[in-house]
Amino acid sequence: MNKFNKLLHPLIGPLAAIILGLLAGSIAIVVAGGSITETYSEMWKGAFGSFYFFTSTLSRATPVILIGMGAVVAFRSGFFNLGAEGQMVLGGLSAALVGLYMPGPAWLVCVAALLAGIAAGGLWSAMAGYFDVRFRVNLLITTLLLNYIATLFAGYMVAYPFKDRTGSAAMAQSAMLDNAIWLPKLFKGMAVHAGLIIAVIVVIVLFIYLSKSVSGYEARMLGGNPLFAVYGGVRRTSLMIATMFASGGLAGLAGATEILGSQYRYIDNAFSSADYAWTGIMAALLANANPIGTAIAAFFLAALQTGGMGVELNTDVPLEIGSVIQSVLILFITVKFTRIYWKRRKGRKQDGSAV
Amino acid sequence: MLLEMERISKSYGDVNANRGINYNLKAGEVHAIVGENGAGKTTLMRILYGMEQPSSGSIKLNGKEVFFNDPKEAIRHGIGMVHQHFMLFPNFTVAENIVIGKEPGVIKFDRKAAVAQVEALSKNYGIKVDPLAKVGDCPLGVQQRVEILKVLYQGAEIIILDEPTGVLTPLEVKELLEAIKALTLKGKSFILISHKLNEVMSAADRITVLRDGEVTGVVEASDTDVEQLSNLMVGRALAPSIKQPSMPKHPVLELNNVSLSGGGSKKLLDSISLQVRAGEIVGIAGISGNGQSELIQVIAGLLSPDHGKISLLGANMTGRNARDLRDAGLAHIPEDRYIWGANKSATVAETGVMGHQRRLQRFGILKRKVIRGLVSDWIKQYSIKAGSLDNQTQNLSGGNLQKLIVARELAQNTPFLIAAEPTRGVDIGAMETIHDQLLRKRDGGGAILLISSELSEVLKLSDRIIVMYEGAIAGELQVGEATEEKLSLLMAGGKRNE
Amino acid sequence: MDQLFDLALFNSALRVLTPILLAALGGALCARVGLFNVGLEGLMLIGAFTAIVGNHYFENTALAILFAIACVSVFSLLFAYLSIQLQANVIVVGVAMNFLALGLTTFSLRTIFHVKGAYYNKEMIGLPKWDIPVIKDIPVLGEILSGQSPLVYLALVIAGMIWYYFYRTISGFRFLAAGSNPLAARSLGIRVQRYQYGAVLACGVLCALAGAQLSLGQVTLFTEGMTAGRGFIALVAMMLGQSGPLGVVASSLLFGLMDAFSIRLQGLSMPSHFTQMVPYAITIIAMFFFKDKGFLKDAQNSGSSSR
Repeated sequence: MNKFNKLLHPLIGPLAAIILGLLAGSIAIVVAGGSITETYSEMWKGAFGSFYFFTSTLSRATPVILIGMGAVVAFRSGFFNLGAEGQMVLGGLSAALVGLYMPGPAWLVCVAALLAGIAAGGLWSAMAGYFDVRFRVNLLITTLLLNYIATLFAGYMVAYPFKDRTGSAAMAQSAMLDNAIWLPKLFKGMAVHAGLIIAVIVVIVLFIYLSKSVSGYEARMLGGNPLFAVYGGVRRTSLMIATMFASGGLAGLAGATEILGSQYRYIDNAFSSADYAWTGIMAALLANANPIGTAIAAFFLAALQTGGMGVELNTDVPLEIGSVIQSVLILFITVKFTRIYWKRRKGRKQDGSAV
Repeated sequence: MLLEMERISKSYGDVNANRGINYNLKAGEVHAIVGENGAGKTTLMRILYGMEQPSSGSIKLNGKEVFFNDPKEAIRHGIGMVHQHFMLFPNFTVAENIVIGKEPGVIKFDRKAAVAQVEALSKNYGIKVDPLAKVGDCPLGVQQRVEILKVLYQGAEIIILDEPTGVLTPLEVKELLEAIKALTLKGKSFILISHKLNEVMSAADRITVLRDGEVTGVVEASDTDVEQLSNLMVGRALAPSIKQPSMPKHPVLELNNVSLSGGGSKKLLDSISLQVRAGEIVGIAGISGNGQSELIQVIAGLLSPDHGKISLLGANMTGRNARDLRDAGLAHIPEDRYIWGANKSATVAETGVMGHQRRLQRFGILKRKVIRGLVSDWIKQYSIKAGSLDNQTQNLSGGNLQKLIVARELAQNTPFLIAAEPTRGVDIGAMETIHDQLLRKRDGGGAILLISSELSEVLKLSDRIIVMYEGAIAGELQVGEATEEKLSLLMAGGKRNE
Repeated sequence: MDQLFDLALFNSALRVLTPILLAALGGALCARVGLFNVGLEGLMLIGAFTAIVGNHYFENTALAILFAIACVSVFSLLFAYLSIQLQANVIVVGVAMNFLALGLTTFSLRTIFHVKGAYYNKEMIGLPKWDIPVIKDIPVLGEILSGQSPLVYLALVIAGMIWYYFYRTISGFRFLAAGSNPLAARSLGIRVQRYQYGAVLACGVLCALAGAQLSLGQVTLFTEGMTAGRGFIALVAMMLGQSGPLGVVASSLLFGLMDAFSIRLQGLSMPSHFTQMVPYAITIIAMFFFKDKGFLKDAQNSGSSSR
């Protein structure tokens, strides 16, 4: 019985949140004048209905998983990095520019573009980390604000100096990458690309790092009680900068794979409007910053979004139904997330009643 | 009878904090409750003050049964409580802190009337305060006066004092005891909670002793002595531990003119110079808040001093971080086990391995089996009730966690150990084990800096005793010449004022 | 328009600062009772949208604003329930709230108005522009203060009211007490949760007003995500102002000026990308001067001590 409880207990929170999310979705569908069963079945079809749709979901999940992993690294160490969007944008832009202008064999350019993405996202994020440790500027707020600056900067780059002037459209976007340096597709004619393999490898490496390695142990202790970690000889400053670099680097990698694997050029606002970054952060929150759980959550959130597109195509309900369900789900999942990570902060308040 | 608490029981899950406790109080009486940590004193008082509801039992005031859902109701019935950790608002003035909850004025807060009322109150009871001073700037003794005036302002007839002397200087303690006497003459009654038997003996009329949530005796203060009380408290006579004279060798830790400013005008640490040699225990005594915490943090690499030099085994460690110090030979039992000593959400094994993790690894991967074996050994050796190694640290009781931390730090086997409040909150049996382990480490050539707010502990273990007052060293005594009286005088800054 | 500074700049600064000020005051109320409300952006967005919806159905700006207040209050109650009752992480709830607001408003824009991106109807009436009789004749002040929507004046009045509440009333005194030491407040029988709920609810009302000023103040339209980060700017203004009403007014004024200034710069053929960056960059720079407590202090304060 006890063992059964132990297995079931962690599932109660997410299940309740999913049910509440679907419930809120149902209300929204009714308000929009759709049929609940039809909408949800269209949503299912849009996400998993055929091999093609399934691979589209996987392709959409790829950057979300990578960003989720970046969030996992930071959250586990107790750093609230909310700057994934800006980090991803800079990663994507750098990858696109390296891909366009670096000479050399195609495979080398591709690898260099990926590395450039990691470096750009990582440095942008590490800068916020540095501000925090050196000047005590609140990390959460700097990472948030840096999103706007990064997005505007990237927008400027493709609107002026690196604007694609070949096409007739006046869109703010870079030129198209040479198709020799594209990441290969996993199945012919399907959207999913080699970025997914990179993402899966990252998930496995991160899982091992966090649960088995000395440094992962130190990072987790830092996240749980920073004073305890520092007391025990964890070097907070260097671990924080490294963590923030890794976190932002993964977001940058997400941008780079997205550019090299499916968009082939940097288009202004393409990442922001697809909400990859926030979805990835949400996935990490949903899964308690557990790497495997985050990957699964990322996949399902991506499915909600591709499903939402299916809904819009075939019914009168707008595709934002997906984001409504998603945000309600997140709103309630935090209740569980809290118990694990924030109890420390509340320990004192609750002392009287919770003993 | 003013107050009668009958057959009070309270359980939290499987733990019975109070088991059928009877307690009563006469008007104008001081009735103390003594007992070890975890004996159930605080729980009983929280029940009386309406912060907790009893599982069973009844409370009668003047013969009428009452039931308090929250402190507000208890206050309305004339019960006031001065908490061990003061419940004050440091940013507010003394007057504001006293009148809060019953402010003069309608909608608009009449601060002038508040000041006038506080002045009148202070005069009436002969307790002096400055109504306009900011509470955060007041010394702890004054803060306690504010607490007592607040309770009186609320109209309390019964005043609960929870461990009131822990943070006070000997002079302030004397003033407090006098104030209690004066107030009983005006008809107020006191419930005094303490584990300091000498103070209880001098202040109380009657004494109730608790052990493991049960009453083990109710005695008149005039009919008893400290020995009888401690037998009732512990349940057995304590074996005196035998200490060999120390044979100090080479210096291990050296501090040279270490200073730390706190941002304000007062220095937190003021030119501290001290030495701890191999094979000796140096005790630091002092009223808490006189720089001990900062001293520990500076030595442990958690704070950087502004001036001075710190060296460990001859190597200059000034301004180095905790990692460097640990690598150079430091182990550290922290003064607060939850703030520094543990990660509540981590497993027992994870909390237990901190500080050892860089030793127990291979290619950056932790040696899981070795670690689990090690922590299991400690659990056996110190009889720690931990459940399993994968249990969350927060499920451990305070005493068990303290034992785990002590085991962890002693297992570091370093030449130098900081032992700050090493036995805070543990039961007597565990205290004896920990004391024996510390002495054994000393006899094996270890250098130990002991910081404790319990004078008896400092006197029992130390070979030399350094007294701190307002961030500076007020004096140093050899173990032979140190007595509680001499230490108390130094702790109150006696020597420096001469 | 070749001049960078003139009185009109201040006049427009006052207009653009209003939503920031209102939201920042709401955030300050929450912060004073220990709730760091990151959801200002979302609440403001819901306010802006529902004000337009109300305007569409009632064809009356006053009713529209009341409708917005009612709707936002529902969401702020949800925020309060999750973060106070269920003890969820305030920041995560706030972020999720922003998400929900963006999703819901976009979703509703399509279902209610059947449009994508923006809704505009020239028959809709915006907020009136008021001139205050005596003040408008004072030389400098008159030019700055005149011709604003009633909400601009209301925002300044509310700031004054919050100041009076905090520092002159009994209830405000207890409010501050509950925030500064909840444990002590509870021991006196002060209902801390009640003050927290009150603060969040008041914050909702203020955010609704902020949103209404955005969608009905200068222009009368709603666009997807039209708050465009103002909620976060408000958050920073609140921090810079150290959650005191007067400090919040001062820091909001700074941001309002920055915003008005960056609009000016656009007139000078600077790429809008850079001018839009100005408020964010200034905010980050400003934060260097208002340092957080060190993490040691912070963690020690929040960590529970031994019993």
